[in-house]
Amino acid sequence: MRNADRRGVRNSGRRPMVVAFENIGLTYEDGAEVLRSVNFSLKDGEFRFLTGPSGAGKTSLLKLIYLALKPTKGRLTLFGEDVTDAPRETLPALRRRIGVVFQEFRLLNHLTAFENVSLPMRIAGVNQAHYREDVSELLNWVGLGDRMHAPPQTLSGGEKQRVALARALVSKPDLILADEPTGNVDPEMGEKIMKLFVELNRLGAAVVIATHDIHLVEALGKKSMRLDNGRLVDGVMRGGASSWRAQA
Amino acid sequence: MSAKRRGGKSQDAGAGRARPVGGRGPEGPLPNAVRPDGPSPDDLAASTGGAAAGSRLGGVFVGGAPLLPDVGATGAPMTAVIAVMSALAALALAGFIAIAAAAERWTDDLEASMTVQVKGADKEEIDGRTLSALSVLEAADGVSGIQVRPPEEAAKLLTPWLGEGASAYLSVPALIDFKVDAAARADLGGLRARLVGASDGLILDDHGVWNDSLRTAARSGQALTFGIFVLVTAAACAIAAFAARAGLAANADVISLLHLVGATDAFIAGEVQKRFLFVSLRGSLIGLAAAAAAIAALTLIVGASGPPEFFLPSFATHPALLAPMLLVPAAISAATSVTARRTVLASLKQDL
Repeated sequence: MRNADRRGVRNSGRRPMVVAFENIGLTYEDGAEVLRSVNFSLKDGEFRFLTGPSGAGKTSLLKLIYLALKPTKGRLTLFGEDVTDAPRETLPALRRRIGVVFQEFRLLNHLTAFENVSLPMRIAGVNQAHYREDVSELLNWVGLGDRMHAPPQTLSGGEKQRVALARALVSKPDLILADEPTGNVDPEMGEKIMKLFVELNRLGAAVVIATHDIHLVEALGKKSMRLDNGRLVDGVMRGGASSWRAQA
Repeated sequence: MSAKRRGGKSQDAGAGRARPVGGRGPEGPLPNAVRPDGPSPDDLAASTGGAAAGSRLGGVFVGGAPLLPDVGATGAPMTAVIAVMSALAALALAGFIAIAAAAERWTDDLEASMTVQVKGADKEEIDGRTLSALSVLEAADGVSGIQVRPPEEAAKLLTPWLGEGASAYLSVPALIDFKVDAAARADLGGLRARLVGASDGLILDDHGVWNDSLRTAARSGQALTFGIFVLVTAAACAIAAFAARAGLAANADVISLLHLVGATDAFIAGEVQKRFLFVSLRGSLIGLAAAAAAIAALTLIVGASGPPEFFLPSFATHPALLAPMLLVPAAISAATSVTARRTVLASLKQDL
């Protein structure tokens, strides 16, 4: 479902499932079991924090959603499609509907900031004439208008974070995933970035943010779920640590 | 059962933890670039006729900087290897062309010229028989350029093998060279019969033995040079396959990221093909230039040491024959880039 379809569905009141984990387990090749019987669902337009201590499995859970890993147990549904054993030729179309802000940015060092942000558009086959202005506008908006042609290795951590953010957003994804998006920026910048995610969510995108910054979670008052030792504990909560309450 | 990666060659890798910094943005109203009410990239690509990412050559023709860095096996070493392979292929092709041209000239000359040997016990007998032979040849249709080479001249031809003065103890025949047209050549039996009827000791030599030998030698030479050309091109393809695999390994993180932002295998293979096309064209043009320089030097050396008209093929007299060598960069580039593309596609398919 692309943007126009999603708005139509939202206006009609139906909220299709964007992500559904059914009894999902994940064991790495070295035998480490990182996720155990995880069940949760995310509807179109929902906002969800994913919290938990380091090593709890937050990044692995996100990797399952952005189709970098296959679950070793259970059933994974994305945008209404069962993708548990989806053939690889069906994955690119699904991945293009997901914008990911990776924890370590994953920028391509041989490309400029502009080219990194343009990457999803190039991959989608869009002519540069049709996205040049949008990418420039986006980079200006994240405060990197003057670093547009700089290679990532000359950017600071915060600047890289913003390039990664712009890259995740440029294709107007239906689902935005962010892994510790405020981990490398100061609190003021972190707050701005979080407000951006809230705004994007308000405009229709489903958002999942993995973070261990409980203060940000509390400040925004959005739903959150907590992973501990590979298991979702206490279901889905609203608000911060002080107001954890199980939801049906 | 353990977790399997999807679509990428490696797990997440990054530049390491960066230091926390402050800075500007994102500030102000959400830019149009990310507002969901605009067209999606897929819509834009479809409406503007952009190269579909999933299309066979989508990765080749979408503009911008190369998405795969020029490192590892697709850099300068690959250019050098392709240059050497192209030079060898161009030289082999040049040899093929030169032998073909020379063989055609040799056989044309041999087919058009004939010789009558005039044997006799002494000079007087040889002279008499020579006159008889000349009367038959002059009366024959399609015969021209009759030249009598006296026994002394024939003796000179034997000097390298028999030494000076061989004619003193050998009865060296006189030779009559002449040219025949196609009609006369078709009636060789009649001409031979008239010569035999005119006098004893007249032997018509149509150079058939030489001609057949030359044809066989030329065909062998052509097969050899063409075989070398094919082998060198195949070797270049094999090297391209190895290099493509090495390039995939060297760029595993890049390829993993491309997959994760929605690239198809065809798009990535297209990017690799684009890199190999560029590197192969660059290398093969260098190789072609080197081969052309080598041929020019060879032509000069042969020209300086004497006329090459008969035994050695001459490019100087047929520069147009070098034109097919321009196909070498095209052939090597096409073969290596297509091989690289296929190698990458096969390799990516094995990678869940």
